[in-house]
Order: sequence, then C-alpha cells, then structure tokens
Amino acid sequence: MENFWLILALCSGLLSVGLAVWSYIWVNRQDPGTKEAQRVAAWIRRGAISYLRKLYSALIMVAVVLALIIAIVFGINAKDPYYGFKMAVAFVCGASLSALAGYMGMTIAVSANVRSATAAEKGLNPAFNLAFRAGSVMGLAMIGIAVTGMSTIYMLTRQPEIVLGFSFGASTLALLAKAGGGIYTKTADIAADLVGKVEIGIPEDDPRNPAVIADNVGDNVGDVAGMGADIFDSYVASSVAVMLLGISVPNVAEQVKYTVFPLVLCTLGIFASIIGLQLVRVGKDGKPGRALNSGTIITCLLFAAMVVAVVLLGGYNLGVLWAALAGLTAGVIIGFTTDYFTGDDKPPVVETARVSGSGSAINIITGFSYGLISIVPSIVGIVAATLVSYYLAESFGLSGVYGVGVSAVGMLAVSGMIVSADAYGPIVDNARGIAEMAGMSERVIDTADVLDAAGNTAKAITKGFAISAAALTVLALFAAYASEMEAEGVKVALSLRNPLVIAGIFLGAMTPPLFSALTMLSVTRNAFDMIEEIRRQFNTNPGILAGTAEPDYETCVALAAQGALTSLILPAFLAVVLPLIVGFVMGPEALGAFLGGAIFTGIIFALLMANAGGLWDNAKKYIESGMFGGKGSEAHKAGVVGDTVGDPFKDTAGPSLNTLITVMSLVSSLFAPVIAAFHLF
Amino acid sequence: MTVHLYLSLIPEALIASMLDPEEFGAYYAVGSAKKSRGQAIFFEVDPSFRHEYFDIDEGIRRCVPHEDGTPKASIYISVYRVLEHVSLDAIMKLYLVTQDGRTLGLDSSEELPEETGKLHLYQEIAPVHPLVVSTLGPREFYELIVKYPTTLLKLPAVCFVELSLGALADDPERGEVGDLPYANIPHLRQCLIELRTKSVHTKMVNRIQPATFPYRTIKSGIFLGNQEKLLFFPMPSQEELRAKHYRWWRSANM
Repeated sequence: MENFWLILALCSGLLSVGLAVWSYIWVNRQDPGTKEAQRVAAWIRRGAISYLRKLYSALIMVAVVLALIIAIVFGINAKDPYYGFKMAVAFVCGASLSALAGYMGMTIAVSANVRSATAAEKGLNPAFNLAFRAGSVMGLAMIGIAVTGMSTIYMLTRQPEIVLGFSFGASTLALLAKAGGGIYTKTADIAADLVGKVEIGIPEDDPRNPAVIADNVGDNVGDVAGMGADIFDSYVASSVAVMLLGISVPNVAEQVKYTVFPLVLCTLGIFASIIGLQLVRVGKDGKPGRALNSGTIITCLLFAAMVVAVVLLGGYNLGVLWAALAGLTAGVIIGFTTDYFTGDDKPPVVETARVSGSGSAINIITGFSYGLISIVPSIVGIVAATLVSYYLAESFGLSGVYGVGVSAVGMLAVSGMIVSADAYGPIVDNARGIAEMAGMSERVIDTADVLDAAGNTAKAITKGFAISAAALTVLALFAAYASEMEAEGVKVALSLRNPLVIAGIFLGAMTPPLFSALTMLSVTRNAFDMIEEIRRQFNTNPGILAGTAEPDYETCVALAAQGALTSLILPAFLAVVLPLIVGFVMGPEALGAFLGGAIFTGIIFALLMANAGGLWDNAKKYIESGMFGGKGSEAHKAGVVGDTVGDPFKDTAGPSLNTLITVMSLVSSLFAPVIAAFHLF
Repeated sequence: MTVHLYLSLIPEALIASMLDPEEFGAYYAVGSAKKSRGQAIFFEVDPSFRHEYFDIDEGIRRCVPHEDGTPKASIYISVYRVLEHVSLDAIMKLYLVTQDGRTLGLDSSEELPEETGKLHLYQEIAPVHPLVVSTLGPREFYELIVKYPTTLLKLPAVCFVELSLGALADDPERGEVGDLPYANIPHLRQCLIELRTKSVHTKMVNRIQPATFPYRTIKSGIFLGNQEKLLFFPMPSQEELRAKHYRWWRSANM
C-alpha cells in the first residue's frame, strides 16, 4: 500500500508540474500588447532575469561548498560509505529543484504582467483569469516539484534522513531567495519613493524615475521567487519532519506507513489544489478578492473531505485525521485574522490613520502596538493547533509530536492554492505599473487597480499563513531533532536549572532580532546607494525629468541585485553556522534550547513585523483616500513615515524569519548525529 | 519662432518666452540646468498687449534663439507689481503646472460657479497669499478686497482660488475632516466657528501660507479680478480630469 501511495505521490507531483508547464505555455501565447507595453515589460523581464542569474550563481557557490561539507562529514560518520554522497546529492537536488520552481514562477510572472495589462482592455475577467493562471504556475510548480523530489528520493533510498538533506537544500535557497528578495524589493521601493515622490514630486510608476524598473522587478523578486521559495521550504521541511517522526509510531509494523503519510497528505493537497484552481472565477459582483478567498476555502474543504475519506478507507489512525484538520483549520483562521489587522477598512488601520494627525511618533506607537496585539490570534491558533493535534494524536495511541507534525503538513498541503493567490499579487501589481508607464487607457488602469487591491489582500493572508505554517513546521522539526538525538542515545531534556539550557535559550532568542537588524540595515545601506544614483541621474541629465531622455534603469537594477546578494553573507552565515557552534561547543541540550529560543522570538517577531508593516502601509493609503486631511496633510506625512518604517518590517525582515528558523532547525536536525558524537560540553 | 507672453503668479512676473505653454510649464516647474523646481501657475497673455509700466518690446527683442538654435526659454520683463498692471482683456488661458512639470490649460468662463456651502476657504495666490475663511461667496469676496473694502486693506488686483472645505463647510464643529490644504485642523475649525459666532465676514487662517496648494483640493476654480472685472477659470471635475488629462491628474494627486 505504501508503494502505491509513493507512486501516486510521484504521479501527482508530475501531473502538477505538467499542468504548470501547460499554463506556462498558455500564458506565453496570449497577446503581449502594444510595442510600448512590451518595451516596458522587457525592462522588467531583463531586470528579473539578471537578478535570478546573480542569485543562482551565489546559490551554486554556497551549494557546492555545503554539499562538499555534507559529503565529507556524513561520509566519515556513517556505516553506509555512500551515505554522505547520497545526502550531498539530495541537498543539491533540494536547492536545484527549489530554484527551478522559483525560475518558472519568476519567468512567467514577468511574462504575464504585460499580457494581463493587455487583457484588461477586454475587461476584468480576462485579465484576472490570465493573471491568476500565471500565478498558478508558481503554485503548481512548487508543490509538484517538491512532491516529485521527496517521493523520488524516498523511493530510491527508503531513508527519511536523506530527504532531510533535500529539505536542507531547499531551505538554503529559500534563505537566499527570501532574505535577498526582501532586501532587493525594499531597497528599490524606498529609494524610488524617497527621490521620486518626496524630492522630485513624480508619481508612483512614473517612467521618468530611474528606479521604477528595479521597483517593479522587486515585486517579483520578493513576492514570487521569495515567497515561493519560503513556502516550498516549509512545505518540504514539515513533510520531512513528519517522515522522521514516523519511526516514533509505537507499532513498528506501521512505521513505514506513517513515514509515508505526509506524502499522502501532500498528494491529496495537490489534487485539491488542482481542482480548487479551476474553480476560481470572478462572479457577477466583479470582486476578484472574493474569487481568491472562495478558491482557498473550496480547496481546503476538498482537501478535508479527501483526508477524511483516505484516513477512514485506508485504515489510518484517527489521530492523524484530527491533527491534519486542526492544522488546516488553524491555517485558514490565522490567514483571515491577519486581514483584520491589516485591512484598510478595519479598526486598527482606521485608528492608526486617525491618530497620525498628531505626528509620526503617535503613528509609530499605535501601529507598533496593534502589531503586537496582532500576534495574539495567530499565537492562539498555533497553540490550539499544537495542543489539539498533540493530545488527539496521543489519545488515539499515536505519538503527540507526530500529531503536531501532521498538523503542519495539513496546513501546508493546500500551498498550491495559497502560493497561486500570492503570486497573482505581483503580476497584477506589475500590470498596473506597465499600464501606467506605457500610457495605456484609463479603463486598463481602473481594472488593474481592482485586481491589485485583491492581490494585496492575498499577500497579507499568505504572510500570516506562511509564518504560522513555519511555526508548526519548526515545532515538528524540533521534535525531529530531539528524536534524532535520542536515536544517537542522547536525551534532550530542557531544564531551566541547567545553565547550558539557559544560555542556549538566550542565544537562540537573540538570533531573530539580530537577523532582522542585519537585513533591515542592509536595506537602508543599499537604499542610500541607490538614492545617490537616482539623484545623480536627475542632476546630470535634466532631460530625464523633462521626459525627453530615458533614465538608466539598468544601473539601478544592478545596484539593487548586487547590494541584496552581498548583504546576505552575514545573515546566511549566522543561520547556518550559529546552531553548529552552539551544538558543537555547548552540546545537544543547549542546541535544543537554542532552537526553542529562536523559534519563540522568531515567530513573535515575524508576526509583529509582517502585520505592523501591513497596517502602516494601509493606514497611509487610508489617509491618501482623502481621510483625516488627505495627501500632504500632517497625518499623511506621519503616515508616510510609518509606511517607510513598515516597508522593511513587512517585506524584508518579517517574512525572512520563517526561513531563518526553518534553516536553523534543519541544520540542527541534519547534524544531530554528528553533534551527538562530538561536543565540548 | 513665436514669442509668447506669460504672466506668472508664483512668483509674480511677466515673462517673454519662445516656448509654447506646455513646454514653458515643464521648463518653469522642473527647470533646466539650474534645476529650480516647483509648482507653477501662469496665464498666457495676448502678445499684442502693451502697457507703459512694462518694457515689453525690449523683452521681446531680447527673446532670441540660443546660438545652437534652441529656443529662448525665458526673458523676465518684470518681477514687481505685475498683476495690477496687466489688463484682464489681454488674459488668454490659465495654466496649472504640477511639481513635476505636467501642464493643464484652463479657459475662462462667462458664469461664476454656483454657490454651495455656508462657509468658504480661499487661498490668495497673488499679489499676497494668505489663507482665508469667509462667509462670502467668490464674487463678494473679490469685491470686498478689490472694489468695496470695508477696512483700510485694499488690493488693486487679486488672484485667488476657492478650496474645498468638505464637511467642515456645513459643520465646522463636528464635520469629518477630508482632504484639506491646511495642517492645523483644530485651528481651522476654530476660525470657521468664529465666522459663525462673530460679526465678521472673513477670518485669516494663515498669514504666510505658501502660494502653492494641492490642485486636487480646488473646489470650483481660480478667480482673477481687478477694478474692471472678475474672470473665473473653472476647474474640470475629477472624472473629467482623470479621463482627459490623466497624466496631469496623476501628478496633481501626489
């Protein structure tokens, strides 16, 4: 039966990739629009491809070094002489396949933006269908490639530990893509706004701004490649954690069955997502946001029904059913409650806008406070999902930590739909920018505005979902780490009376704030360089502002890409090396405590930053809609300050923290056998 | 090349230029190599207009192309007490230029705008530029400061704009604050309330308000008056601006 599920998982993965390729081809066959629109789109496409080239070059260097280390370390310490080699190959496959999914998502996004703008000439429905179908390329490619990779490696090796290597590879790319993308997108955004809007007084997406193309590229880099890699990473990591925990199932005869179970859930999630994607249609009310939300809910319901059927018919323990449903429900609730704190018609945003009339300080204090409150529903959701899945799994005779892992996989199983909705956002955002820059009709811009508003909501929901999913994933990884240590004869008991545990907690708790600071400082440093470049262009060539000369977009694109990737070195080093230093020097228990501390502050910081940033952004937009004095008022000035502070919060540091804690947990689990054998204390 | 005459309001100046109004607007707002920047408002003046106060012919004589053949952008004929010396019969079109150099041309209208709201907000643009609230409609306001002043203060000519007070026009105490060109909202409310409670028709809100203002806050249009007559340049609706002058509308909505 397990072989059947493995083959079905492989087939479903290939089907998903096939559908992604089919949609890729279909989107590319659509009308690319006028010459002017194509010219603007070509700039964005060239910028995106140039960034991907630099990112993947950096990845190759990192991957080669890490693969060699993995091959040597695991080759020496294993009974199987090829263990290290297999682990290294799995690592390279994880990094390469995640990169492939990101490449497909990015290239289709920068191809679909202009086509979506062109389709908007015909109306909302054609434009929405095209943009969403292009977004689904990323969603389908991501889940398809992940499941294909995991099932193939497991079928070939029958060792979940090797799949852990695959997951570590995916996480390495995710760390580079998410943090790098976050730094890139905000560098370009802040620099373009500060010089373009504030100093010169030109509107958003104005082709006279030398940073406008970098800004549009940044939307794709951050929200398509970055977010896709982030969820790919959590998706694989949660599945691998559960596969590793499969051996904790009390009945030895059923251990393989429960090791394969996360791939069963992923397979069902693929089928549910494929069906759900076909049902996303804008209704007669013309509201794309409602279409996206209905698609997500339908996919979740379909997935839940399939899980019920498979668990009951397949003779699985009912504990996994409740755990999967608990994770799924928590994911949906957390996603939608995120919207409460960032929605532009909801009390937190309106209140922050209202008090902005009293200045920037009050705007910051209020937005920050609501950001702190916004942690509550997500944490309660994570706690509820953890407790429900743990105790229900235990009550049905399964390991509780296995139940927690299954809840994470249950939450992430519908990622195909979630990522599709998320990738739709930057496509329509770019479509609006292209329409603006290419001087397309008012009708196109109006349509793009409606599509863009729905994309922003989808982005906010995805961020809440991604952070919560990462929280459950790392809890499962933490359990997997403890389980790996126990397999080596080391019991991870975290007692606060042990000074090494206390030291580990503090060091772990310190890491997410430090990582956040490093990435945000990179944004300000890189933005400063780009601001100087934009000013230089305006000063040396007055024809740019007069509209008679074209700016040098490429220099700004190159500055953003180079700056983002160079700035990644120290944060990436922290993520990979710090857990190893703690583990080898202070021992397995301190490393367990380190992970605990990092997980707790990481989740809290990630939620705070994502939600506060979204809230400040929408408070500014609310004022710009003519409320509380409108544009140019004191309230608006304070709103702009809040939004600028919130930009790196929500798009750079906040979302990167998911990946940070996942990478640190994976490094710890991966190196657990080595650390168990060699540690100073 | 044709030489145009422009009456700039920010700052007040009479200028000869070889640039047509759109080019002149872009040049005037975003500058050339000198990189002077800022919102601009100017009228196109009949090129045959002459007045003893200005040496217009000398200005036109000096307005010749550069050595490389490019047109001369500006020759300043006068920068002092210009508005009062220009006949309103010579005024052709009004141009509103955004900070980034987009230019919108407005024709004058025979009819003054229909009066709505009990209270009004006026930004004087030239020759002085305070921000004033008033119970008077635009015509009465113009007459009060140019033709029939009730105080010692009198202007020979004035250009002003009526800005939107939104809900404050009817309910200064509790009206919802919308898009306003003045930051100190409690003070604005207080001034409006005083107009209701005291026997005055106008109340100065800000003595040194910048002459520039957000175009999106214009309520009805721009008024230009002297001892002889009052001209009105109506502002198109937001819908019309968006549909017909999208680029300008986008820049004006910054």
